[in-house]
Amino acid sequence: MHVRKNIPLILLVASVAAAALLITDPYILTMLIFIGIYAIATMGLNLLLGFAGQISLGHGAFFALGAYVSAILTTRFGAPCTAAAALAVALVCAIAWAVGLPCLRLKGHYLAMGTLAFGEIIHITLNAEVELTGGPSGIAGIPVLSLGPFSADSDARYFLIVWCVFIALFVLTRNIINSRPGRALQALHGSEQAAGAMGIDVAGMKLTVFVLSAAYAALAGVLYVHFVAFVSPQAGDIMFSIKMVTMVVAGGMGHLWGGLLGAALLTVLPEMLSYFEDYDMLIYGGILLAMVMFMPGGLTQGLARLSGALRARRTAVRPGAVTGGRTEDPVPRRTAQ
Amino acid sequence: MSSQTAIVRISGISKNFGGLAALQEVSITVGRGTITSVIGPNGAGKTTLINVLSGFLKPDSGTIELNGAVITGRKAHAITRLGMARTFQTAQVFGQMSVLENVMVGCHARTRTGLAGAALRLPGVRAEERAVREKARGLLAMVGLAGQASMTAASIPIGSQRLLEIARALASQPAVLLLDEPAAGLNTQETRRLGELLLDIRRQGITIMLVEHDMELVMDISDEIAVLNFGRSIARGTPAEIQASPDVIAVYLGED
Repeated sequence: MHVRKNIPLILLVASVAAAALLITDPYILTMLIFIGIYAIATMGLNLLLGFAGQISLGHGAFFALGAYVSAILTTRFGAPCTAAAALAVALVCAIAWAVGLPCLRLKGHYLAMGTLAFGEIIHITLNAEVELTGGPSGIAGIPVLSLGPFSADSDARYFLIVWCVFIALFVLTRNIINSRPGRALQALHGSEQAAGAMGIDVAGMKLTVFVLSAAYAALAGVLYVHFVAFVSPQAGDIMFSIKMVTMVVAGGMGHLWGGLLGAALLTVLPEMLSYFEDYDMLIYGGILLAMVMFMPGGLTQGLARLSGALRARRTAVRPGAVTGGRTEDPVPRRTAQ
Repeated sequence: MSSQTAIVRISGISKNFGGLAALQEVSITVGRGTITSVIGPNGAGKTTLINVLSGFLKPDSGTIELNGAVITGRKAHAITRLGMARTFQTAQVFGQMSVLENVMVGCHARTRTGLAGAALRLPGVRAEERAVREKARGLLAMVGLAGQASMTAASIPIGSQRLLEIARALASQPAVLLLDEPAAGLNTQETRRLGELLLDIRRQGITIMLVEHDMELVMDISDEIAVLNFGRSIARGTPAEIQASPDVIAVYLGED
């Protein structure tokens, strides 16, 4: 059971190792690095959106803030990358806490509007604070990540760093999901009232998961800025916030692999569709629309259905697999573990 | 009732919604280890009373004591931690989570694992996780849902969801269990089983405050009954006394 559950993760680790050794094409490496960076950001957003059921249309701003803080600290103050990264994430956490405190009193559409407004404020500020941020022309010449003598100066090395961070975060996040705080944040999604009745501090838990998911976005922003070596206010604008939400929805809300699948799909698809030139956006939109209609649970649900259908074809229908039994005749079911 | 045996003391609770007085100066004492039922016609204020007791609503006046400590105005999660858990009139299970996980959420108030400990899966966390899982399985067995442990909570029938809510509330190790119409939507046989379950819970030393419309169930298992009508407490006594009370009969037969 334990090994079977880890097969996808083992496969991912193996393919990352293989890719680091075998792939030399800079175009493909760059794309894989971007997928990794977006997957880190969407993993955090999935915690908030998919698991805890709280919308945010302002997470692009946390991504941009992480990128900007690290860029400013390294270019203006000559801070070492690791210190700049740590400070950037910590500062974004503090900002997310301050923003979340009033915003998370809102629900549904109102929360969406509140976070959208926050994103817009950050966007305008980054444009206007020319002294600090370089305004619309942004900041260039950002150094590449380095830790002591090790410098991520090649695409292959950067690829490895990004994906090691992703895998480490994936394991930590999975541990959180399958534990007391993880269950508490999923309970918020099910029923805030019942969560409160179970002794969960609903407001506190919402704030915690909001700050946590902002930290993922900030870390992704840091990894982005030291790879691209340039940042402008466009990095975390509203379109990017919406793209992050789309990645989570298309990949699968409330499923840890969803963020990665969504990030991969929405990064690769536009590249592939560029073959269609003028019609690329039309086809892109069509594909997303079809996904929402036919796979409302995202790619992970689609894959689960597919494997379920294959398994059903191989084995005869198990008793009790159809509906839940009444309480007086518990259906013979394999219990977990 | 002497003060030694009272576990919940509701004194002069009033709650208004706009011009509507949902509760007016309601005083009820719940004896430790009893099943105390609150009955009354629709709109009598029974659910409002549960919501005020469990911290979902703030009363306009009056006090509530739990184990001698005043809990009026405390938040819902704090009241659960102090030992009073509740279920809901319309079952509110965590639909996307498994039946087992639902009960494990119930252990939240009595466990400690935080974010960092959970992320790093420290040894103490593993032990706590195992204990929580064991306890949740035990409670599911007690309410008769052991066979559905791995199903999603939304996929089990409403009657089972009500039992799940009871198991989930018990997981918080309450001294007092507030049940808001647990028999609604159950058939006769299920209701009989529910009655046995509630007696079983009482035997474990947990006090039950039951809001219920099913008179047969109420009369069968209650030690004490309080009757509400239009937000006022109009009678209280044993099932036999309540059944004989002319006031109560008048309320239920619609005489004024």
